[in-house]
Amino acid sequence: MGRKGTILAVLACAVAVTGIAVTAASGAHRATPGITATEIKIGGTFPLTGIAAAYKSIPAAAKAYFDYVNDHGGVNGRKINFEILDDSYDPSKTVPLTQQLVEKDGVFAVYGSLGTAPVLATWDYLNSHKVPQALVTTGDSYWGFCAYRKCGTPAKKYPWTIGWQPDYPGESKLYGRYIAANLPNAKIGVLYQSDAYGKNYLAGLRVGLGVEKRANIVDAQTYDVQNPNVAQQILSLKSKGADTLVVFATPTATIGALVTATKLGWSPATFINNVSANRLYLLAATGLGASVDGVISTTYAASPTTQPNLPGMKLGKAIVDQYAPALSTTYAKGDATIVFGLASAWTFVYALQNSGKNPTRESLKNALHNMNTTKNPFVYPGIRIQTSAKDNFPIEQLRMTKWVGGGTGDWQAFGKLLDKVR
Amino acid sequence: MRIRPSPVVALLAAVGVFLIVGSVVSDIFAQQTVAGLAQGAIFSSLALALVLIYRATEVINFAQGEMAMATTYVAYQLTLWGLSYWAAFALTLVIAFVLGVVVQLVFVRPVQQKSVLAVVIITIGLFILIDGLVTWKWGGDLKFMVAPFGNNVYHAGSVAFSRQDIGVLLVSILSVILLWLLFQFTKLGLAMRAAAVRPAAAALVGVRVNLMLAFGWGLAAVLGAVAGLMAEPTQFLQPTMMQAILLYAFAAAVLGGLESPAGAVIGGLALGVFLNLLGQYVGFATAELRLPIAFAVLLLVLLVKPTGLFGRRQVRRV
Amino acid sequence: MKVVPALAAAAVIAFLPFALDGYHQGLASSVAIYFIAILGLNVLTGYTGQISIGHGAFMAIGGYVTAVMSSDHHTNLIATLPLALGITFVCGVLVGIPALRFSGVYLALATFALAVSVPQLPLKFSKFLGGSNGIHTDHSVSHLWLYGVSWACAAIVFMLAWLLLRGRIGRAFRAVRDSEVAAVSSGVSLPIYKTFAFGVSAAFAGVAGALFVLATNGFAQPNEFGVLLSLKILIGAAVAGLGSLWGVLAGALFVGLLPQISSSVPLIGAAHGQDVVFGLVVILIMLLLPNGFAGLLAGLERRFKTAIKSDPKTS
Repeated sequence: MGRKGTILAVLACAVAVTGIAVTAASGAHRATPGITATEIKIGGTFPLTGIAAAYKSIPAAAKAYFDYVNDHGGVNGRKINFEILDDSYDPSKTVPLTQQLVEKDGVFAVYGSLGTAPVLATWDYLNSHKVPQALVTTGDSYWGFCAYRKCGTPAKKYPWTIGWQPDYPGESKLYGRYIAANLPNAKIGVLYQSDAYGKNYLAGLRVGLGVEKRANIVDAQTYDVQNPNVAQQILSLKSKGADTLVVFATPTATIGALVTATKLGWSPATFINNVSANRLYLLAATGLGASVDGVISTTYAASPTTQPNLPGMKLGKAIVDQYAPALSTTYAKGDATIVFGLASAWTFVYALQNSGKNPTRESLKNALHNMNTTKNPFVYPGIRIQTSAKDNFPIEQLRMTKWVGGGTGDWQAFGKLLDKVR
Repeated sequence: MRIRPSPVVALLAAVGVFLIVGSVVSDIFAQQTVAGLAQGAIFSSLALALVLIYRATEVINFAQGEMAMATTYVAYQLTLWGLSYWAAFALTLVIAFVLGVVVQLVFVRPVQQKSVLAVVIITIGLFILIDGLVTWKWGGDLKFMVAPFGNNVYHAGSVAFSRQDIGVLLVSILSVILLWLLFQFTKLGLAMRAAAVRPAAAALVGVRVNLMLAFGWGLAAVLGAVAGLMAEPTQFLQPTMMQAILLYAFAAAVLGGLESPAGAVIGGLALGVFLNLLGQYVGFATAELRLPIAFAVLLLVLLVKPTGLFGRRQVRRV
Repeated sequence: MKVVPALAAAAVIAFLPFALDGYHQGLASSVAIYFIAILGLNVLTGYTGQISIGHGAFMAIGGYVTAVMSSDHHTNLIATLPLALGITFVCGVLVGIPALRFSGVYLALATFALAVSVPQLPLKFSKFLGGSNGIHTDHSVSHLWLYGVSWACAAIVFMLAWLLLRGRIGRAFRAVRDSEVAAVSSGVSLPIYKTFAFGVSAAFAGVAGALFVLATNGFAQPNEFGVLLSLKILIGAAVAGLGSLWGVLAGALFVGLLPQISSSVPLIGAAHGQDVVFGLVVILIMLLLPNGFAGLLAGLERRFKTAIKSDPKTS
């Protein structure tokens, strides 16, 4: 090993030193970070590897939309340069990567970063540096409230952070209200993820059920996100006499729950949360033997499969086919995460366009706080994206949906557009 | 593999009686037990793979779960190319064997004599490397294979057993039995055991020790592949699918005593059933406490028997 | 002989912040943090022969001590560091006592169990420990603050380790490592020295964990302390080579900087590069240097000496 080892050691040191030197040299600063006459530089952190890697089509779709905008003149002549970094859903990686975006790569704004904990790890930093943390991909209610109300440690306002999707407790309140109204004698069994995500959903459900009907929850079982085998939990819920199953989970566990229930010959009235209600996953579940007809969920996105003739869905198809062909197959099957990415990117471009001819971080922040439009072609028709100085939740409307048609079926919206979800 | 009469055997017998009586008395107890056995069978397969490697090389193979995951992706790719599930299954086992042998020859053998720690670190490097390669090639999103056992449900009284659970249990146990036959009744098996236990003596009587050790790694990879394929219908295909299972397999292998194949199998099954009954009957033991509880039980067992239930007294050191 | 490189290293570390921007100061701080953690593991494994794959757990405990004390009691951040040190020392001793009954691979897996279990506890006891939404310290620190404090801690911890290991305790540790029987027969109390080593090692990891949380904007959350963190510390210790304080710096540079460098390797793309390239380099290093950089240094030193002594032509 002697000589080989020596050479290797020297090489390793050389690589390390050049690595630092090269990266150090490129860390220049500008007066208006991230904006030139021809370019707007933005970036975000996403889990491209690890436990939540299934969501990586969200930034991919957003990038495709930005590329489409760039090919059509950009935003006031500036092209959007979107940098996607992988944090594996680990906050200790999110922090240095976000610092890299702000301090080394000099982005104008951080856009879309995914996951509650990763965003919580960086929002203090971004707010104190006055960098917009725009349209974060997590449904926690912090991003809605904390812009105008002090929260967190250190207790302060976080006006530079804003979310995008309807928040989790707001969504699950709807299921609660629906069950209270339509299944007044339901014996409810809940399966939820053993973290803040699952607990927020459960809390919303209890609020929606109301004080009286809350007692109808006969059992609530948890599962660990790292071990999504939920056979034991479903067996337990069934054995406690539940006739209504509410699942607040991530996709793997949701599919497992649907499949296991069917295999036990159990057919409760079933509700699943929006995050897992991607058509792809329901198709997969039926492929594995689950019967999913009548399962209820919610949506705020337009569907490439039930609404293929909407202008937005045609545009979506054209964009995906041209700029992200890897996503084409799943888009054609109704992959909601792609629509999510497109809709979110559209909203960011909308806010940029309303930030003036020469946007600043301040003007982008103000634009994000003053959105009001029904023109987003990728959201469910009629949904208004609206924020104000007192309201930082961009979407507060949802449609309820029900699965119809088994293994070749789809989500069908029913009822009216539900307002004031928050 | 012989089990001598001892307090351990008495304990196992008592547990067996408890499970049978419980299952007769309560439907849900029976169902949780069967589902637990199916899950436990997967722990067992992977735990057994760890034991084989430990006997051959005296290290814990951290990459065992990721190798299993990678071979499951290979099976998935084969079905995409048009092979039927069971043809892909068989071919995957062959590929897994080759993979295991290659890993031993290329990555493990050069440092095996120099440093145990280096071998462990190499398996950790393999863990990270395989994870990266699979995510690179196939992406991190969920993928699905056809359900190997169909979707039927069997009924025994009011108790429903899914064919899936029964199938997983049978395949895992069958592979364990085949392995046992190989070790116990063939010349190859004898040579492999000799190479693992007394390498110097084995070499003297003409056993090709290095080849036998590589075979050990190959067989471990085969068992891992079985575990991966049997886990797929519940965990689905994703790069992280075996990570939690590997942790439970560690616990099962140590519970059984690391050198004992029978111990690993019993440890895995026991762990699967234990976790399910815990979830059913102990409200405090919510999901986030399952791993800590599993490991706490393991530590308690180790405190009483520092080399696991079936382990021999250890004289080596790492 | 070794004073010169020590002074050189100290000089480089002292002047580095003037040459680096904030972002790279942060990167350099992470090297210091890994340095402390790896040093802790090296004291345990390299000097008493007890292995641990669970140092991520001690880092988690230290990190949560800092976060909770600062968040709930507004304790000065610097003051939380000795607190993290003390509490993890006690935890380390408490783990070290049952660990006396285990050896080798069983000890490795028992500590691994710790690494797996400890990060689950904040999820269960979310009222006190913040659950999956984590806890924030009451304020976060600048890059320069972090750089200064973490390298100062690294220096203090290094001195402590050096003082500890050069004297009677160090001799006792090494006696335990080389032969327990011989150690006992020459009057070394195994339980005391082994648990003490565990405590010291855990305490170092605890300080590293506290700094790790400060480097994460003062945010402590279970995902940060996953199994891979423990494995990374182990990788660092192996690359460093056991039983040498000097190799530790190489190990820390390795695990602190290599993921950063490997994510910028072309062709693969950043996300996959950080796994594929990192994994590959780890394997290659171990194949070429099974005993880590310490082994390399020892080899070089030996060759250097023989080269001086022998005929120049043959070297």
